Amino acid sequence: MDRKPTLLAALLAIGLVVTTLVVPALVSARPAYEIPVANVDNSTTLDTVDGEGWDEAPSAGVSLSSSGAAVPGGDESTIDEVRVASARTDERLYIRLSWADPTRDTSADDVRQFADAVAVQVPVNESARPPIAMGSTDNRVNVWYWNGLNVSQELLAGGPGTTTVLSDSNLESNATYQDGRWHVVLSRPLDDVSDNRTSFSAEQDVDVAVAVWNGSSMERSGAKATSEWHYLALGPGPQGPPYETILWLVAGLGIVFTTLVTIEGVRRTRGE
Amino acid sequence: MSQTDDGTDVRLADGIDHQVAMVMDLNKCIGCQTCTIACKTNWTDGGGREYMYWNNVETKPGSGYPRDWEEMGGGWDEDGEERTPGELQSKEEYGRAWEFNHEQVMYEGSDEPLRPMEQPDWGPNFDEDEGAGEYPNSYYFYLPRICNHCTHPSCVEACPRSALYKREEDGIVLVDQDRCRGYRYCVEGCPYKKVYYNAMKKTSEKCIFCYPRIEGEGPEGEVLPPSCAEDCPPQLRLVGYLDDEEGPIHKLVNEHGVAVRLHPEYRTEPNVYYIPPFAPPQHSESGESIEAERIPRSYLEELFGPDVHEALNTIERERAKVERGEESEVMEMLTTTDTADQYRLEVFD
Repeated sequence: MDRKPTLLAALLAIGLVVTTLVVPALVSARPAYEIPVANVDNSTTLDTVDGEGWDEAPSAGVSLSSSGAAVPGGDESTIDEVRVASARTDERLYIRLSWADPTRDTSADDVRQFADAVAVQVPVNESARPPIAMGSTDNRVNVWYWNGLNVSQELLAGGPGTTTVLSDSNLESNATYQDGRWHVVLSRPLDDVSDNRTSFSAEQDVDVAVAVWNGSSMERSGAKATSEWHYLALGPGPQGPPYETILWLVAGLGIVFTTLVTIEGVRRTRGE
Repeated sequence: MSQTDDGTDVRLADGIDHQVAMVMDLNKCIGCQTCTIACKTNWTDGGGREYMYWNNVETKPGSGYPRDWEEMGGGWDEDGEERTPGELQSKEEYGRAWEFNHEQVMYEGSDEPLRPMEQPDWGPNFDEDEGAGEYPNSYYFYLPRICNHCTHPSCVEACPRSALYKREEDGIVLVDQDRCRGYRYCVEGCPYKKVYYNAMKKTSEKCIFCYPRIEGEGPEGEVLPPSCAEDCPPQLRLVGYLDDEEGPIHKLVNEHGVAVRLHPEYRTEPNVYYIPPFAPPQHSESGESIEAERIPRSYLEELFGPDVHEALNTIERERAKVERGEESEVMEMLTTTDTADQYRLEVFD
């Protein structure tokens, strides 16, 4: 018996196993719009932007574009992308945002000065998806807001122009500017039981959207770069790796089968 | 729109019961800035308001306050429907509050004259009395300015949060300090640059037409006119309601057409009106008066729109009447010293 086909089949089989194991790890295993949420035990490692806890939380690139709001400059935002990571402990939900902005704007002391800022928007009702532009009267949003003056606020909104500061906020923030990038951590208790506040059951995914303002471009209000709705993967969800392993296995088997059939076909044609 | 008994239309903003208004007679202004100081000591004395002059007096022709405010946009387009974008001016262009050598002169025995510690190169009223024209026919006049409490205010429209609003009872334009988030769209949206950003509070602020005074909220419980009007030494301001048919404002504006709006082309429909300035006629080289107006009509038209011609013609006719010993209701209203006629603030409930 010719040992060549057997050897080839063996090599292909090994290749298949290697491909199945390695390739998914190399390409993004994450569904579009997912912001993974890491489980971290020690909350102190998440409080600061460079805390160790963030090593366990993979970040997702979130594309931004002009909000198109009906204010001057509503179509002229300057920040294109923000990297978003998220982590949770038993008590708090953390979101870490990082984006490139060559100008560090931390003053609003002159009439023409505006501070850099970032905001995270979540639905008040974690099961509902509100209109992306600040929600609506019957489907409101919570906004976690931070700006370069080191002001952080928890806001409630029911449509554009309606943001209202929520009092007794448990929102905490930490920010640094390094090598042309802002890094900001915002966190809040998961289950902040009070009116008009999102209560994260941590049993289901929750929609999230992000906005970034560049102060030196005089961005403020609706003049901002905004994302589409993404979601914080807080729920069990479709388990990425096993699901993808099956897909890759099927694809791999297909490739091996096709290759073997082709080889056999060539052999027969040659009359071997 | 409300129609008065004599058939004149008085346009009020939608949902407004009455409209406060002011007429300023520019022929009486001596540029003393008492109004400016009256306002400042009442409302803008510190707390991030140092650079603010809700009332200012500027020399015209001149750059004004803030510098070149007339070139900074804002207001409405020709149809009065779309806002035209405006610009923000830096604090330098308003004029910073200079530090003076009070300490050295008053307490440390310095012989230096009292003066700013730094070399000032711009400030409010910096080009005072420069004016325009050439000797012997140079000319200038003073222009006191407050918020116009417009009928069609572009600052109100500019705010995406509805933090600015026109008060229902009297049309005073106010900034709700709880709603304001310091976006400054109102500052750039007002073509008269009469909304100011308070960098300490991070909110915008403006002239409130001294509403506590006109509501009688002072210590005596008396209804008083705005401070800028009451404290004016030559008493050049008349205060009342545009829709008070018996009042001088309605008569001067709507009946006689002698009080005109500043920059009507901004289409915000201001409710501060001006009696345009007369100046002595031009002089010849030899010092003789000649038949030529000193302040070019074209310049006055630039400021007050085409209605200024009719206003000036009417005033000239009315003055001639008085000179002939005849009666003139217009001149009577403009020269009265009876405060009950100057300030009619208790005509509506």
